[in-house]
Amino acid sequence: MTGIARTAPAPGGGPGRWEEAARARAARLESLLGDPYDPANPHGLRALFAADERRTPPRETEALLDEEGWAAEFVPAAHGGRLTRADLLARALRPVFRRDVALGFGHGITSMFATGAVWAAGGEGMRHELAGQLLAGGRATILHHELAHANAILRDEFTARPAPGGGHLLHGRKDVVINASRADAQVVYARTDPARGPRSHSVFLLDPARAAPGTTRHLPRVETAGMRGALFSGLEFDGRAVPEDALVGAPGDGVALALRTFQVNRSVICGVVTAAVDTVLHSAVRAAATGRGGRVARRWHKPLTGVFADLLACDAMATVALRALGLLPGRAHVFAAAVKYVVPDLLRENLEELAAVLGGRGYDLESPEYGALGKLVRDLPVAGLGHAGTASCQAVIVPQLRTLAESAWFAEDEPPPELFRAGAELPALDYRALGIAGGGDFMAASLAGSAARLAACRGVGGQVGVLAELAETFVAELRALRETCRALPASGGRALADPAVCVLSDRYSLIVSAAAVLGVWEAQDGTDPFLADPAWAVLALARIGARLGVPVPDLPDGCTHRLLDELIRRHRSGISCDLDSTALAH
Amino acid sequence: MNSPADTFPSDPRPAGTGHAVASVRAGPAEAGPADLDRISEPVHVVGPDGPWHRVREGMRSRGNAVVFTTWGQWLGTAVTDPGLRPLLGGDWQRYRRTEDPLIRFRFLTSRLVTKYTAAAALDARATDLNLAYKIGGRPYLRGLDQVDISLTHTDDLIAVAVSRTGRIGVDAEPAGRAMSFDLLHSHVCSPAERAELELLPAGRRSAALLRLWTLKEAYTKAIGQGLRLGFTEFGFGADGEGLLAPDGRPASRGEWAFSTRRVLGRYLLSVASHDAGLDSSRDTAAHTMLDEGFMGAVADLLAPAAPGGAGTGADP
Repeated sequence: MTGIARTAPAPGGGPGRWEEAARARAARLESLLGDPYDPANPHGLRALFAADERRTPPRETEALLDEEGWAAEFVPAAHGGRLTRADLLARALRPVFRRDVALGFGHGITSMFATGAVWAAGGEGMRHELAGQLLAGGRATILHHELAHANAILRDEFTARPAPGGGHLLHGRKDVVINASRADAQVVYARTDPARGPRSHSVFLLDPARAAPGTTRHLPRVETAGMRGALFSGLEFDGRAVPEDALVGAPGDGVALALRTFQVNRSVICGVVTAAVDTVLHSAVRAAATGRGGRVARRWHKPLTGVFADLLACDAMATVALRALGLLPGRAHVFAAAVKYVVPDLLRENLEELAAVLGGRGYDLESPEYGALGKLVRDLPVAGLGHAGTASCQAVIVPQLRTLAESAWFAEDEPPPELFRAGAELPALDYRALGIAGGGDFMAASLAGSAARLAACRGVGGQVGVLAELAETFVAELRALRETCRALPASGGRALADPAVCVLSDRYSLIVSAAAVLGVWEAQDGTDPFLADPAWAVLALARIGARLGVPVPDLPDGCTHRLLDELIRRHRSGISCDLDSTALAH
Repeated sequence: MNSPADTFPSDPRPAGTGHAVASVRAGPAEAGPADLDRISEPVHVVGPDGPWHRVREGMRSRGNAVVFTTWGQWLGTAVTDPGLRPLLGGDWQRYRRTEDPLIRFRFLTSRLVTKYTAAAALDARATDLNLAYKIGGRPYLRGLDQVDISLTHTDDLIAVAVSRTGRIGVDAEPAGRAMSFDLLHSHVCSPAERAELELLPAGRRSAALLRLWTLKEAYTKAIGQGLRLGFTEFGFGADGEGLLAPDGRPASRGEWAFSTRRVLGRYLLSVASHDAGLDSSRDTAAHTMLDEGFMGAVADLLAPAAPGGAGTGADP
């Protein structure tokens, strides 16, 4: 697609310009998508809800995204695309996800999930060719291998057996694959070793157009309960020949490549679905304030400000994970897993709290003002993949807990401050540098550092005093966790497949989530007075602490009102309820 | 912490008994046939020994299970179990602090029934589970999100529901409890429900209102909100039409199933069950949930003596 550079600014001018360029692209897309509440807007919520109801992708909006060369967002800048930093990718995608998570998955982000393995381990020629396909408007899909406790999307897998004369032959079927019918490239994680274990699978990049007749069968579309407009269907391979040069990385690299690329996918998903819940929060504020002269009834103060604080916390967690992928690529894996473990669950609870605020209006399913809740309740589980998604994160965390307890917690230096500081320059995302285990725990170190700096404020009262108490509470939790985790079995495998260990991974994930909130709050330079004020961090941490089941101090006077005033201000001015305070189209 | 399973302080229901529940048939009742098929029939578990196979069977076939018991049946086990403290876990302090013996033992039994039911669904030991509470009070099993749970008690009945397809909520009331339509409709009924109930003979309104009440409790508990979600903001039809908007239009796309049944001959038990549509794994065992490939790849890199595995383990 030659028009890309003309229609949207591509990254140029080096790392110092990346952020500005990505924000400019996001602003342009926001403005092209237009007022979500205008019933006549072909890209507005009414049109998007109607497409969902018809179970079709929103064609006009897909065409707009094609015109903008949206697929280039998923192609590394080194290969001619716009992908520089993972945190900026999430920013650039948010205008779409704010309106329609299913469109974000169906039209684009699936290509990113699929192609990660190629950017991580594909040869130069393979990467170049795939980049060319995406830049020309092509699409890639991913054929996952089956994970433990798989749901429909992760169930079943393909087997690749060596073919006489070289290459492999693929067999098997999967019934629920997004874009299976319209992908220009398929990235398949196929079993190449019948034994279970870390070397059981290999990755292949397939060109559907090159399948020999009779070896690929497209199965009918599957109507899913969530993301109803996305095109899920099945694929069956029966001796589908795969040439030797289709192998991505080395034979047996599949599981490791999944681990390496999933951490990017997990972090990006958390960074974009937060924007979708933001839309529902705006609709709940509208419902609570309508007909009351703009005032919000007292009983809604707690849920509205609670959700606002959670959204800021989720943005903090996701943003820190996304920045870590570039800054600390060998060590981001465990935090990315913790964030993906926590964020979808938090957001699901947030939608339920907002359902209470919206009341009967929440069932006004076609209305652009109030219909976002009903659709997102359906779409969010598909985006997060439910239990199978969280369990796959726990499988990354659980085997590391003992090592972290023994050698990392309370023993490491803090991460560089650029990890948290908005506007700081960061290295580009390099899939090849991503690690999958080991490297310590920079977020635990950050928590201890934050608490130590705040310690002087303990007992002084006020917002900062409470913040300091909360920080110490999480540090005490980490200390208690360290004692328990030191006693875990040294070897992995079955000994760790214990419900009591899953409990520990839950506690761990909440503790490092709190660390992200503290890190982002500490990094404020005062440019945004609301974020520099401790109120949002106090409420966010109090809620994380309540989830952890630890005693939390009473909220200081004025905390809720500080958040409520800001929330109403942002709603009235059309500003996003995240760390960026982005102006929304109106 | 007060959970939605406990009586809400602002609960407007009156005490006492009154009219017979005319519209409630014995056994399966109330909901449309499709929904009854989606929610497992309640199982009477008389003690820690079960029968639990029916819970596992319900989880496999329908994705959910519902159990009920009376707290007296569990009390012997409950007070003599030497492992009570680890069994209660985070609830131990609340149990110890509760002075009223009736409330104390009912609390104890309800938590034990919940943990044993969850243990059956997760193929785990009850003592290994951590029963925790979300901010709104909804109980859950920390670290094990393959199942959602809900519990309720009324008089001597305790009921627990568990699901692997999505949120679940359960509520029970004595079937003979009088519900004054005149006093309560403005707190309980949506406009569409009110219109429907007004068409009924006066003698049948109380029973119809009680059914609506238990369904509404079950639904708001399923989404973790309790009475925070106003009962007049959503509704149900008389013939099992599922969740409805205040004006009577359908309010969901079939993700929710509801059932109302009579148990022990004297309680009305309603269940609201959500299906997120992911076609979740029938295997809900806690010991099989961590992917062996992922665990193995991570463990290989951490073990100093093991060969390097496939990834780059650390920063360059």
